Amino acid sequence: MLSTSTIAKSLTRTVPRVFSNTSKAPSLRLFLRCQSTSHGNNNLNKNELPFKFSPAGPKLVKYSKDHEWLAMHADGTTFLGITDYAAAALGDATYIELPEADTEVDASDSIGSVESVKSASEVYVPVSGTVVEGNTDLESSPQLINSDPMGKGWIAKLKVDEATNKEILDKLFTLEQYEQFLKSDE
Amino acid sequence: MLKRCYILSKLNTFTYKSQRYVNTKVPFDINETDDQYKGINTMYSDMFSQSLSNTNTKDDNTDISRETNPLSECDKLNKEFQDLFQVDNTCLSGKELEHKVTSPGRFILKSLSNNPYYNLALEDYVFRKTPVSKEISHDVFPNHRLLFYINKKCAVIGKNQTVWQEVYLSELQEQSYELLRRLSGGGAVIHDLGNVNYSFITSRNEFHSSFFNELIVKWLHSYDETLPVTLNKRSDILFDGKKCGGSAFKIAQGKAYHHGTMLVNSDLGNFHGLLKAKDIPGIKWDSPSVDSVRSNVSNISLKSTDNFMDICIDGFRTDFKGANHHEIPVYFCNEDITINDEINSSMNTLKDDKWKYFNGPKFDVAFLDKQVFISCEKGIITKCNIAGLEGKAFKTLWEDKKVYRNIYQNKF
Repeated sequence: MLSTSTIAKSLTRTVPRVFSNTSKAPSLRLFLRCQSTSHGNNNLNKNELPFKFSPAGPKLVKYSKDHEWLAMHADGTTFLGITDYAAAALGDATYIELPEADTEVDASDSIGSVESVKSASEVYVPVSGTVVEGNTDLESSPQLINSDPMGKGWIAKLKVDEATNKEILDKLFTLEQYEQFLKSDE
Repeated sequence: MLKRCYILSKLNTFTYKSQRYVNTKVPFDINETDDQYKGINTMYSDMFSQSLSNTNTKDDNTDISRETNPLSECDKLNKEFQDLFQVDNTCLSGKELEHKVTSPGRFILKSLSNNPYYNLALEDYVFRKTPVSKEISHDVFPNHRLLFYINKKCAVIGKNQTVWQEVYLSELQEQSYELLRRLSGGGAVIHDLGNVNYSFITSRNEFHSSFFNELIVKWLHSYDETLPVTLNKRSDILFDGKKCGGSAFKIAQGKAYHHGTMLVNSDLGNFHGLLKAKDIPGIKWDSPSVDSVRSNVSNISLKSTDNFMDICIDGFRTDFKGANHHEIPVYFCNEDITINDEINSSMNTLKDDKWKYFNGPKFDVAFLDKQVFISCEKGIITKCNIAGLEGKAFKTLWEDKKVYRNIYQNKF
């Protein structure tokens, strides 16, 4: 939970710098932070396809600075979605734009978007590979992005070659690093 | 300072208009034998024939003709004003824009073009090029940008909407409204010259959907505390309880923008019959397409579109001044001068049928009285209970009257 003292602290830190002449200026980051603390479980859901695709589970789960997660299995099949933190910050999803099968993607290409309350938010793929399919369940149930972003709400399934992406994969966050990255703003 | 900018921009408009005017024929005959007015007639013909030769060369190369021709009276006046007040509202070149946009720092950008394709492409360009640190930083984002543009008559639908579900294309065509699909989310809106579009670019980290409209309401109140402007739950700005502006957002590359409309002196009566109601008898849509929230709209009671922009510019300059207290600059741009390959190419994308009609969510639609069922994906009919339509573009149904009448009797 967010304590009042944190709010006060963040206000005093944020407001005077830019909004020097305004007393009523709204706080910039308060909203995101309130939501992130009420969620904050950025673990992959172990009961859903992104985890259960191979019996052993994914060999690698990584996170990006743009708040995507990816779960790579031994055969190179990789699931991609947005983190719980990102889903909470965006609010109720109304439409998910999915990538088309067989699209070749390069690292940091946009492969779709999540629309929520009038905002279209791009989703990037941190590695290069080929799209196997988009999660068509999201077409009829975009709310899966909010209820289970790290399980049922996966966005794309890709085929990724681990060797060619090694350098990128090494640089992506582990769960601990991602949580640390989120904390560094608090 | 701002008032002076206003005068100058008006003068520029005048220059532009007077140049355009000479392209048209004089609407009356000059009586050559009438000596009484000969002097003044000669003076006017000289004045206009000179300008006429200017405009003839315009197509070859605008910049060269501008340089080689002597300054017009208005140019001279503008220059005098600029020298006197030391303000410069000449438009940025494409190169200058690139430099300003990729460099750190806050600025305000005013487009003098009314071409919606240019303005949307310009906005996207500024958004994409604005630098942002990939690290979450403890500092407040130092590169906020505020854009203003006014579009001539057009309907703009959200990125994830279905054209045929939102607008009466035939009406738009008849009344010469352009149709655009924008890059941000949200619902359909109508623009005209009485409506100001503002666009606030910030970092993803700082972004919040109600933030900028709260500031606008604050600025409007400090300009005139009696203005009955409020925010509703969706953070739309209301004037006297009716919506006077809409908002949409885009988040990408660690950045975000909030762009919105402000109705100042729009021809609201004209908007009627362009946007479709949510439910139209005889048609049933089944689609994940993003809903437009239908609202009663009103103009805000400000003097002019410039009046609104000046209030925002003043407020932005005060609230975003930051620690160093440098005045936040205002730059101008227009389509002829402030252009580059990237802006050109996104203009082409926005104009392309592929983006407008072969994009957006897949949908099913049923025309009940004729019992016609159509499934459509990326603008192409994938299933239909009328033979021969599968594989055709949904768009062509409405261009071929014969097919159209077999499907639906009313205006589509």
